[in-house]
Amino acid sequence: MIHVEHIQHSFKIGKKGKERPVPVLKDLSFEVKKGSIISIVGRSGSGKSTLLHIMAGFLKPESGQITVNGTVTSKFTETQSAEFRLEQFGFIFQNFQLMPGLTTFENIELPLKLKGVTKAERTKQVEQLVQHVGLKEVQDHYPNELSGGQQQRVSIARALITNPPIIFADEPTGSLDSETEQEILALIRSLNESRGITFVIITHDDEVASIADEIYQMHDGVLKAGGIHHAI
Amino acid sequence: MQFKDQLNFVSQHIKKNKLRVFMTILAATMGTAFLIILASVGFGIQDTLKKEILDNRLVTQVEVHSADLDKEKADKMKKLDHVKAVVLRQEVNAFQTTTLDKYTSPSSLLISDFSEEKKAGFALEKGRLPKGKYEVVVGHDFAENLMNEEEVEKFQSQQQANESNEEEQIVPELPHYEGELLGKEITYEIGSFETGESYKEPIKLTIVGIAKAPSKDFISDGNLYADASLIPEMEAIYDRHKPEESEASLFYSNLNVYADELQNVKGITTTLKDDGYSVYSISEELEQIDVFFLALKAGLIFVGTIAILISSIGIFNTMTMAVTERTREIGVMKALGAKPKLIQRLFLLESAWIGIIGTLIAVILSYAISILANYILPLVVGAALGEENFGELNVTFSIIPWQLVVIASAISIGVAMISGWRPARKATQIDVIDALRREL
Repeated sequence: MIHVEHIQHSFKIGKKGKERPVPVLKDLSFEVKKGSIISIVGRSGSGKSTLLHIMAGFLKPESGQITVNGTVTSKFTETQSAEFRLEQFGFIFQNFQLMPGLTTFENIELPLKLKGVTKAERTKQVEQLVQHVGLKEVQDHYPNELSGGQQQRVSIARALITNPPIIFADEPTGSLDSETEQEILALIRSLNESRGITFVIITHDDEVASIADEIYQMHDGVLKAGGIHHAI
Repeated sequence: MQFKDQLNFVSQHIKKNKLRVFMTILAATMGTAFLIILASVGFGIQDTLKKEILDNRLVTQVEVHSADLDKEKADKMKKLDHVKAVVLRQEVNAFQTTTLDKYTSPSSLLISDFSEEKKAGFALEKGRLPKGKYEVVVGHDFAENLMNEEEVEKFQSQQQANESNEEEQIVPELPHYEGELLGKEITYEIGSFETGESYKEPIKLTIVGIAKAPSKDFISDGNLYADASLIPEMEAIYDRHKPEESEASLFYSNLNVYADELQNVKGITTTLKDDGYSVYSISEELEQIDVFFLALKAGLIFVGTIAILISSIGIFNTMTMAVTERTREIGVMKALGAKPKLIQRLFLLESAWIGIIGTLIAVILSYAISILANYILPLVVGAALGEENFGELNVTFSIIPWQLVVIASAISIGVAMISGWRPARKATQIDVIDALRREL
């Protein structure tokens, strides 16, 4: 489903004119199978978030290639990348990234608005989903009126609303207590099983990583899978 | 994203920052209203000046001067495009006198074609147009010229006596005929200029109509208007009495061509000039005024545009702050799949909205100020100059034609969108990763 081939990336640091490159990703190659959950585990600064940003199209790799469902996405323009994300990807962020001025309903509705779906169709789809993820009671609440767990549910619902085949989750339980964390992980697992959605989870938490079918370890820009060093 | 959703999105953000947006709209309104009012003064003065010129003359009239104007040439002119009427008037080149009972008048007789006169706007106050040879229409002020010598002398001697007693001198109206004119028979005679005597061959004419008063108070019309069928009889009288050596004709002609509309006066004037006639029309004078005022109005609009440019700084500021404040939101939208063009459009819509609302209010405000200025300023200026009747004069200080509204709106909304352009571009360039790292 997702083929990551020889991805290399570095950041430039230092004063302007005197910048020096710091390698972040060192020749990574791996594959994400359709309908699977993979976790990329690593410490802060290991490069796992950068890898997710490159896979999601937020960042262009210096070299290498990403192919999603047979489409090379790493060469996309910004507009192509945005179009592709809207159709193919969903996102769950650590700090939820909900729009503070929009209600639960409106936050979930947002990707459909971006797709140009009609108001009637949007209402129908959002109403079904809020029911499904248990947000019916709080659909008119603003993010600051919700608990952390509820906010992450809204974030998950927003990722699901366009029925994407792939969802990227960046530290999905990083801001939640352990009880809520379990709820969210159960929800991810059930969505994977019931809808066949592929999840790519970035986490530093081994417990979160444990729900995955495949776990990759990230260390200093190098990826290991199941203890096997994948960097070539 | 559907356009309706884009508008909703923009209005939601505007509601969140009501005060700031209100202040920006206020600045845009003031700038645009300043432009409209400033330029409207140019339009107002131009209109007043043109009205002043047009009121004093017949605007569609083209005066044609030539030594040998006749009916044949007049008929030829009638065939020109946009000619409404060609009035060939023949005036009597002799001593003339008209008598009604004991009253006499030195009124002039004009021979004309009444069907053409009617087309050119000649109208009657009473009665009808002449149908027969001996029927005439008299000018509106004809009765005032009909005087009785004895009455006048008596009146004048009375006046002289009064003048010696009183310091203040008021010029009173001379006594004149005050009876009914319609249906009355008058005696018209021609005579010699040299002797000031008539040829004693009176022609009896019947008054069948009274012409309408001239448009201007200071013009007096005491003429007699008769049909061309009277010419042979008059010429016969003249021929019997004129000195043998004289070759002067009894009649001399003047010819006026009337255009159907003001804008066609210029074309007719040019054609007649090309045909070798000496021609005068108002179009040339108006053209010069138009050129001058076009330059003046362009200058005023330019000055007004500076005010709009100043207000655009406010819009730029507001939009830049809006982009900075919403960086995280923009980042989320981009992450979810919003295209850069959509982000740009949303911000441009917001600045355009500010421009449109500002312009709308400015237009309404400008009309209100304009009406108020036209009502109050004449009173103020009149009071300042000590002229009580200034307000009654037809002075327009401000006129807002639709063209000015269109120009001002285009400038205002255009400037608003240009002001929002850079912030909108900045919004599209926001880095998703940086934006997502921002705290709420």
